[in-house]
Amino acid sequence: MKKLFKLIVFLVCVAPMALWAQDDPTLKVSAKQQVMVGERFQVVFEANAEGKHFTAPSFEGFDVMGGPFTSSSSSVQIVNGSVSRTVKNTYTFALQASQEGTFRIGSASLTVKGDKITSQPFEIKVVPDDGSHAAPSGGGNNRQQGQSQNTSDPQVSGKDLFLKVIPSKKTVYVGEQVVLTYKLYTKVPISSLSVERVPSYAGFWTKDITDNNGGALRQSSEYVNGTEYTTAEIQRVIIVPQRAGNLTLDPMTISCVAQIRTQSNNRQSNDPFDIFFNDPFFNRNITNIHKELSSNSLTIEVKNLPDNGKPASFAGAVGNYNFKSDIDKTQLKTNEAFTLTLTVSGTGNIELLKMPEPVFPPDFEVYDPKIVTSTNNTVNGMSGTKKAEYLVIPRRAGSFDLSPVEFSFFNVGNNSYSTLTSEAYTIEVEKGSGKESDEGGIYTTNQEGIKYLGSDIRHINTGDPHLKPTKTVFFASPAYFVALLALLVIFIILLLVLKKREQLSQDTAVNRNRKADKVARGRLKNAYQFLKAKDQEKFYVELSQALWGYIADKLGIERSKLSMDTVSETMKEKNVPEELTQQFVDTLNSCEFARFAPGSAEEKMDDLYQRGIDVISKAEKVL
Amino acid sequence: MNEREATMKRYTLFILLAFLALTGRAQETVEKWFEQANAAYNAGNYDSAVRLYEDILTYDVESAPLYYNMGNAYYKKRDYPMAIYCYEKALKIDPSDDDARTNLEMANLAIVDKIEPVPQSFLVKGWNGMRNWLSGDQWAYVSIVAFALLLVAVGLFLRSGRMGMRKLGFFGGIVMLIVFGLSVLFAAQFRKASLTEDQAIVMTPTVTVKSSPNTSSVDLFVLHEGTKVDLLDEADGWSKIKIANGSIGWLQTDFILPF
Repeated sequence: MKKLFKLIVFLVCVAPMALWAQDDPTLKVSAKQQVMVGERFQVVFEANAEGKHFTAPSFEGFDVMGGPFTSSSSSVQIVNGSVSRTVKNTYTFALQASQEGTFRIGSASLTVKGDKITSQPFEIKVVPDDGSHAAPSGGGNNRQQGQSQNTSDPQVSGKDLFLKVIPSKKTVYVGEQVVLTYKLYTKVPISSLSVERVPSYAGFWTKDITDNNGGALRQSSEYVNGTEYTTAEIQRVIIVPQRAGNLTLDPMTISCVAQIRTQSNNRQSNDPFDIFFNDPFFNRNITNIHKELSSNSLTIEVKNLPDNGKPASFAGAVGNYNFKSDIDKTQLKTNEAFTLTLTVSGTGNIELLKMPEPVFPPDFEVYDPKIVTSTNNTVNGMSGTKKAEYLVIPRRAGSFDLSPVEFSFFNVGNNSYSTLTSEAYTIEVEKGSGKESDEGGIYTTNQEGIKYLGSDIRHINTGDPHLKPTKTVFFASPAYFVALLALLVIFIILLLVLKKREQLSQDTAVNRNRKADKVARGRLKNAYQFLKAKDQEKFYVELSQALWGYIADKLGIERSKLSMDTVSETMKEKNVPEELTQQFVDTLNSCEFARFAPGSAEEKMDDLYQRGIDVISKAEKVL
Repeated sequence: MNEREATMKRYTLFILLAFLALTGRAQETVEKWFEQANAAYNAGNYDSAVRLYEDILTYDVESAPLYYNMGNAYYKKRDYPMAIYCYEKALKIDPSDDDARTNLEMANLAIVDKIEPVPQSFLVKGWNGMRNWLSGDQWAYVSIVAFALLLVAVGLFLRSGRMGMRKLGFFGGIVMLIVFGLSVLFAAQFRKASLTEDQAIVMTPTVTVKSSPNTSSVDLFVLHEGTKVDLLDEADGWSKIKIANGSIGWLQTDFILPF
């Protein structure tokens, strides 16, 4: 119910507006009748109703700079209870005349509530350019429309006012700096200068170094082709090419207002307002003309740095530099800090300069360097100094060598690379007192494992290669067998030689000693034979010889000196037991006695034989 | 006996002289090349070092240091399969070369295949470990020295008049006999190994090992370059191989470099 009520109220209040307000819908067009070549102007289509599907005519002979820009407004009027509503929709086009002549602009159409409404076609006359069109018709002081036919119209030509870009060099190396100066040349006074568009500088690193002395432009005068110009530096930029090739810079665009003193009078004008406003009292003969100026475009040839002789430490620095290093102390204690300062100074792109990095021993604690850059920008480009300060704390005692740091740059002056080397330092680090290190609390023990910095294969063998023919094996080769055989042969020969020598030296004392037993046994054997044969005489001779021979050979007594006394003496000398000596001597005596007193019993022979054997075996054990 | 010995001496001398005459002159140039190759290696010119080492091989000479240096040059060229091949060759000639063994391990870290080897029994390990103390030629020299000492011991035993020396001769002789026997066994093993090519290195980046020696047989597994295989058999350009974990299969002999 409530909804229905609302609807009724709405219909009662609002519906009449729509019913009564509408006039017949029309589409009107308004534009200038006459324009100059190059002039910008507007064409406005106005509809008094809301419509759809606006179709623009073809603006033949003109360039459409923009549009349609649409705007709409509506107003409601209530007069004496009657309500009227006005709707205004505009479609605006910005056009520019491109050629002389008379051009017809067709009708535009719009669909309003299903009906198509159209505008009236019309004509525009395009007249030749009188030079003042560059300023769009916006300025309140701009008078040129009224003076379009005036031959003495003030104008500013390209010769009177132009912008020029002056590079310090047109052929450079990658990384070499170029100073660009944008200069305005003028013969007329200028005001409200502003930079409209700055070049994009694609492929360059740039730094604006315009000398901005309190907003005022630096002015000077210069002669160009015999004419004096006042010049003003608009901008000064350092550009540093980052890649090789022919790099083109877009022009810079500035806008300014040229103040022109007009000719004293303008009598030809029939317009009374013109006469009035051109009166010197109001206008003081100054005309302001809006101008847009573009600099010439510029191509810079950028060459690659030569590869020839490029040092390993080269990191892209181009210019002319000095390099030095400085250290605050070279003798210190562990956990004290020292500062190593590397300074590069000179002309070049100091801001982008990459500082060379020193290499510190692994036992040094090194903090990230503090880098200070100070630059000085002059007409000749950028110069300055860059400092890298390394704060270093040695943690171990010892003598450390800081190897010199190399800094390389490409010297533009003589087109070659230069390498500068800093000083080498030896840092003597003494062991700080243990207390200090405890206070520091950083190291509690001085022990640590070996740090392996890398792994690599072991180095080649540089000694004798011991080359030998491929696939030859010494083992089981003829030479091997020959060697074995030779050893065997030498061995056999040695054995034979030894045997021969033994035979030759059988009589020597040693031999006799060794053979004594054998010889004695041989004789005893013979004696035994005689014993069996009962040949007494021969038996005693053999037995006696066996005993005498044995003792002589064993004791090394010469036969001529052989007697009972010598035997017992020598035996005593050789520490033979008394008992054995006595036994031996007794046996010898019995034998001699029996020999020279024959006829003894067989039992005695047998007994003597046994005693002989017994005494010889006993002596053999001792001697 | 004397005459025979003289003949034998003359024969030995002749062999030695012939050996020197054959190798002596070439040896000099070749050793100069070896020095040049080493200099190239030290200067970092690994390509030219490899070329010079290869040139030396064309003279039909070889040695463990030569293969070892060549392996290093290949390693530095990042040609790991050839480096492994060279180190294996060096170790085959002189298994006691610790440097070659270390570098071979380094090179084996750089290849794709990592195969867990079948564990060996401690007896085999001990036997191989003892064998690898010396090279084959060194074992041959040891056997000659042991033989000489054996004869000395026998001599002592036979001829010494004194009891102690005879005892020394007896027991020393037994020890020398054992040393002689072992060294002959080791030397014989090395001789067999160096005269036959019973191992190989895979030289092709990726090789599929088949179940039988023809291309249509079942794919068993894939090997990559630098892997060492044992050669078991050969048939029609195919080789029967065994890898360190005991797997067996067939692959085309073109893909491997035997040593």
